[in-house]
Amino acid sequence: MTALKLSAAPTRGGLAVVAGILVLAGFAGLGLASAGFSTHLPADLWLKAALAPDDADVRQILVHYSLLPRLATAVLAGAALGLAGALLQQVLANPLASPTTLGIEAGARLALAVATLWAPGPLGFGREAVALAGGGAALAVVLLLSMRGGLRPVAVLLAGLLVGLYAGSAAAVLTLLNEQWLVSLFVWGGGSLAQQDWAVVATLAPRLAFAAVAAALLVRPLALLGLGEAAAKGLGLPVAAVRLACLALAVALSTTVVSLVGVIAFVGLVAPALAGLMGARSVGSRLLAAPAVGAGLLVATDLVVQQISGAYGELLPTGAVTALFGAPALVVLVARRGLAEAPARGEPGLAAAAAWPWRRVAFIVAILTAVLALALLVGRDAEGWRISLGEGLADALPWRWPRTIAALAAGAMLAAAGIVLQRLTGNPMAAPEMVGVSAGAAGGMVAAFLFLPEVGRLVPLAAAAAGALLALLLVVAVAGRGRLPPDRMLLAGIALGALADAVVAVLMAEGDPKAMALFAWSTGSTYRVDAPAALVTAGAAMMLVAAAPFAGRWLAILPLGGDPARALGVPVGPARLLLLVLTALLTAAATLVVGPISFVGLMAPHLARGLGLVRPAAELAGAVTIGAAVMVAADWLGRIVVFPFEIPAGLAATLIGGPWLVALLARRPR
Amino acid sequence: MVSGRRTGARGNIGGSPVVTRRRFAALGAAGLAGVGLAARALPGLAGTAGDEGGDAAANVRPRIASLDWALAETLVALGSPPVAVPDKRGYSEWVVEPPLPASTADLGSRFTPNIELLAALAPDLVVAIPYQGPLLPVVERVAPTLTLSIYEPDGRPFERACEVATRLAAAAARPAAATALVARAEAAFAAARARIAHLPRRPVLVVSLVDPHHAWVYGAGSLFAAVIERLGLANAWHGETNSWGFSAVGLEGLAAADPDARLVLLEPVPPDVAARLATNPLWQRLPFVRGGEAAIRLPVVVFGGLPSAIRFSDLLSARLAEAPA
Repeated sequence: MTALKLSAAPTRGGLAVVAGILVLAGFAGLGLASAGFSTHLPADLWLKAALAPDDADVRQILVHYSLLPRLATAVLAGAALGLAGALLQQVLANPLASPTTLGIEAGARLALAVATLWAPGPLGFGREAVALAGGGAALAVVLLLSMRGGLRPVAVLLAGLLVGLYAGSAAAVLTLLNEQWLVSLFVWGGGSLAQQDWAVVATLAPRLAFAAVAAALLVRPLALLGLGEAAAKGLGLPVAAVRLACLALAVALSTTVVSLVGVIAFVGLVAPALAGLMGARSVGSRLLAAPAVGAGLLVATDLVVQQISGAYGELLPTGAVTALFGAPALVVLVARRGLAEAPARGEPGLAAAAAWPWRRVAFIVAILTAVLALALLVGRDAEGWRISLGEGLADALPWRWPRTIAALAAGAMLAAAGIVLQRLTGNPMAAPEMVGVSAGAAGGMVAAFLFLPEVGRLVPLAAAAAGALLALLLVVAVAGRGRLPPDRMLLAGIALGALADAVVAVLMAEGDPKAMALFAWSTGSTYRVDAPAALVTAGAAMMLVAAAPFAGRWLAILPLGGDPARALGVPVGPARLLLLVLTALLTAAATLVVGPISFVGLMAPHLARGLGLVRPAAELAGAVTIGAAVMVAADWLGRIVVFPFEIPAGLAATLIGGPWLVALLARRPR
Repeated sequence: MVSGRRTGARGNIGGSPVVTRRRFAALGAAGLAGVGLAARALPGLAGTAGDEGGDAAANVRPRIASLDWALAETLVALGSPPVAVPDKRGYSEWVVEPPLPASTADLGSRFTPNIELLAALAPDLVVAIPYQGPLLPVVERVAPTLTLSIYEPDGRPFERACEVATRLAAAAARPAAATALVARAEAAFAAARARIAHLPRRPVLVVSLVDPHHAWVYGAGSLFAAVIERLGLANAWHGETNSWGFSAVGLEGLAAADPDARLVLLEPVPPDVAARLATNPLWQRLPFVRGGEAAIRLPVVVFGGLPSAIRFSDLLSARLAEAPA
């Protein structure tokens, strides 16, 4: 909040603008020099190439139709994203808001992927509309999810990153089911700035100009809004209209960029942050400086990318590279910002406690049993659906029971982790996918594929386990020092996940089939689980889940916040550390089976509370059973619905559970 | 193992993961080492190896499932079509020929072939390629598994494709079929050479379009390059390639190819790309497009085996011969 206050000194704002423009010029000059543009064409031919290239000279063609439009595209896209980020941060009073962290880019990307696969053929201007719809829907869901937290910055951010993860995993399913077009989807998704004409520039420039005018008109209303909602209303400002206009402008800007060049991650987050660091305090100066910095940032990144990938070497999507520096930048921003610890917000979930909670738990157990029976007995083969009994069952069971049991155990563990985490952080949007352990597992797998010549049998599993362990140690080390409030650590975890994703995206765009195998494996699947692995997973689940009830008192009190909990005699520091370790262990064991993303850990606690299971013990029992049932159902559906193809259980759970969760949260009275 | 051509140009970018990975990849070229072991594990192979064509032999010929298209097409060409392949519809769109018999089952994804289906088919042998290594612990519970490799960092895919055909023929208990297939390939190259003998020698540029702005272009180490060389033609792409024999480039990168190249586009072209190329000014001004000469469109799968090499040679030479020079 404080960082966004109006500056009383307009001269400083002016200075910031000048600094921003200087940075832009500096970046561009440095880049031009280092890229050695003169090697492409003698200096005296440049003007001719720029204005009227000689068709017979390939060098002039390249300068006119590739190098220059690419440079212009980088400037425009960077500026658009910087402006979108600054607008979002301003209107949401949230220094961590951006098209990336609010899921807008991911939503647009998913919508475009669906449209491309559904209606192949040139989408033309339809592309922009589709992207706008996708990005707008994503932002709407984010705001809806975080409304109950009063749009608290960290809560908005968690919801945004969550929606981003969700859209990403839905896109992953599409990709897995369209292996042959995988590379196309990834090159575009990675955000390559390669240009062969001025079309993108011609489309983007007028839109950016329009947005600039609109933003200029919004400067004063936004400045008033910065005084606080009540004050702004008192001054006669139509607060809701201003907010809506601002959000719409930001979404339109970022989704236009996505539809034209793909996802350029994190520029919209980093550019306004840098502008702020350079001293842009007032609304006007921020809205001016952020686009300038964004343009400089993207130009510089793209020039470096062109250098690294060699003049005509492999394809390195610029958007994936911006994620490589943007994700760590998010961690730094999160650690630096002096946001106050999460305020006390009472029990997560406001449903009335059920009179007979254990009867409801028994009901859920019955559902789990039914789902288990389905998963074990019903399958498909080349002829069609088949209920296996007797001999058929004896043949099918050795393949079905290990993955079913593993899914069950993983679902139970993720649900338990979700309960502990949500109570620990007092944030109902906390999910075990965010602890960083999942990202560690994914990172370990990426490293194995990256650095080992041949990916042997157990290597992916071992590497994922090592990665998860490393992340776990890191989490414990950081949490042990007690510096970072738990929900801030979640953000760091997600940022690490984005980093792992970026590495995969870079590899994928290069087109190495090994990278596609990596992609398939990193989505996680019960496919590999055999009997011993299933039994080990089940054993881990029993031990770890059984540990959670012993912390029942802590879990009941910690959501009240640090100080009240201390007053009630809870050793807050050690309790948080222990619970975090438990969460990390639960998540690690589950991630190895169902992959880095499932949302069962987020979903199951909400469903349990929706059923009126509110006290820790009943909530835990209900959520664990629901988590197990959802995961078993997801695993079963994943191998039935698109037979003979398969959707990994974690992704299937995400697809099933995401809309369900949103519906649940939207319906509940505030 | 890795020739200077592949790594030398990029040696200066020390920290790049790509380079590092490739360097490591060079260490692992022991692709075929495990073949002998797995083949020995096959029941009943030794006894049938000599009786090519007999009815009794046909009954004991092992039923083979392939987890990869290149191995599958080779098996079809050897006269022992696989009992199952992944993504059968994709095979018919991309590999096209030789066609799979209707009896071949569809296993779904190459990354997670349907294991219950595979088990129900009870094949005697499963063949896979190295990057499917993580699948092996699962697949080996169904049947012995043989890993065969055509594309390796040493960039000799044609030689390996022949070797793979020999191994597959041995596994299918039809050793003579491999010799015949290799001979067929040589004959196809000779016929193709004769077909284009009267034409001016123009270098060939083989490209597959990835999206409206990007392409894969095939150079040293690709199967296409090997065939082009055997036809006595030159490859128009001299850029550095990855271990699969292609470079991924933005379309502007194609300007580095020989300007007098004959352009070959691999099919299928992604849905919206063809239309957008017509209005892409840079594409229209590339030296080998500008003349107005239509590109030769060939439906040949990338990463194919020996049958794909034959198919590429047949189709390319036929199209070169029919086009006005």
